[in-house]
Amino acid sequence: MKSIEIGCRPNRRKVLAAVLGSGLATVLPRLVQAAVDGDPAALAFDGDTILLADRGLFVSDDAGQTWTAAETLGNVLSLATHRDRPGRVVAGLAEGGVSISEDGGASWRIFEARLPDGEITAVAIASRNPDMIYASLRGDGLWKSEDAGATWSLAMDRPWLDDAERELLSLASVELETGMGGIWIYAGTEVGLTRVPDCFCRWQDVQPGNAMDALVAGEAPPSEAPLPGGEPILSLASAPSAPEVMYAALRSGLWASQDGGVIWQKRASKAATAVAVHPRDETYIAALLGGILKISRDGGATWIETGER
Amino acid sequence: MPMNKGPKDRSAKCTVRRSVHLAALVSALATTGVVVLAQSEPVDPRVEGLTFLGEPVLASQVMAGQQLYADNCASCHGASLEGQPDWRRRLDTGRMPAPPHDDSGHTWHHSDRMLFQITKGGVGAVVPGYESDMPAFGEDLTDAEIAAILVYIKSTWPERQREFQAEVSANDTGG
Repeated sequence: MKSIEIGCRPNRRKVLAAVLGSGLATVLPRLVQAAVDGDPAALAFDGDTILLADRGLFVSDDAGQTWTAAETLGNVLSLATHRDRPGRVVAGLAEGGVSISEDGGASWRIFEARLPDGEITAVAIASRNPDMIYASLRGDGLWKSEDAGATWSLAMDRPWLDDAERELLSLASVELETGMGGIWIYAGTEVGLTRVPDCFCRWQDVQPGNAMDALVAGEAPPSEAPLPGGEPILSLASAPSAPEVMYAALRSGLWASQDGGVIWQKRASKAATAVAVHPRDETYIAALLGGILKISRDGGATWIETGER
Repeated sequence: MPMNKGPKDRSAKCTVRRSVHLAALVSALATTGVVVLAQSEPVDPRVEGLTFLGEPVLASQVMAGQQLYADNCASCHGASLEGQPDWRRRLDTGRMPAPPHDDSGHTWHHSDRMLFQITKGGVGAVVPGYESDMPAFGEDLTDAEIAAILVYIKSTWPERQREFQAEVSANDTGG
């Protein structure tokens, strides 16, 4: 399979980008600060490295204290990494297509057998298989690649919620058993949270594991505290070290769940546009809150601002 | 030497006659035995490598299921279990088309118990509130008929899908 690559030979564009990048490394904190509520942004952990896509791609190896600009193949709207494949970064592009880096964002490639045209609003890598990539195509549906982006096929149409098809704004492969021989893919939409088993039989609400038993037995349903209804879920993360621990970025704030998305609690009140969780520590999270990148080492109880102010 | 036609000769004739009768009897008995043995063989053999809800599946169930499938399911799910065209794309009604039941679909990801519940009670029986064009067949088909349809579908799967679904069923401890 042919692919287009960058990061091998210098050219005028790359030199300019490098010069601009070195300048950006010092001014980036202000850019991060300038990000406003609702701007498309994405965060990911690649090991201890934090990647931030916010009008450019930026990489920090020191928990957000300093940043380096990285060249990309387009405007990155969404990011995904995998704990078992350090260096692999999947980026969904506003111009369409998914580009893939195997060196932490230093160089990128995009396969010719690409997705249909359209904005890639969210990407995810399957928790149990780093070569299985999911991408949501605006106005279309959920696509999957079983060969690390070389080929793609439609996995599922968009979910039907509140009498309409809804865009998938965020995706997370959550390593919780479906009872169907696989795991769940959670999706944040314009109006709320939904999920689909990775056999792609049907989108469905997040429910407690024993909800059906209670229904059959005529007992009171288990308690739930869902995310605020009717609000776009801009970013989702499931902790690889504890998959039932999830985080969601909404305009109403940063929310956390300890039980796979059944009961949610607010962890920050400022508008959240992106969130990521460390691959080995479910309490170590990075989030864009009120347009500022912040770090929490205790699951969102306390926050530290990053970079120069 | 002249042949001896005295009492000994008659005795020999009788012996031969008895032997012939005995042979005929043995032959008849043997034939009867073969028939009896043949009739004692199971006329409804088990289908190797196929169970439903933990019970062995008989060939007659699969045959009955094939006809029941043709009568009740094929109009939506396809005569060859191929599903409706473009089944991953939502219909204008907002509902999903009927998926295939062959190995290209997702049916083999579901346990026996769940497949039975969906067929008998509709998709809403396993996903509350889910809207689907698939009716609940609990009032039109008996449990045995639903089971027959499902074992027919399962009988068409390749080995890998059968093994996967058997494991999913074995791990299904719910409800």
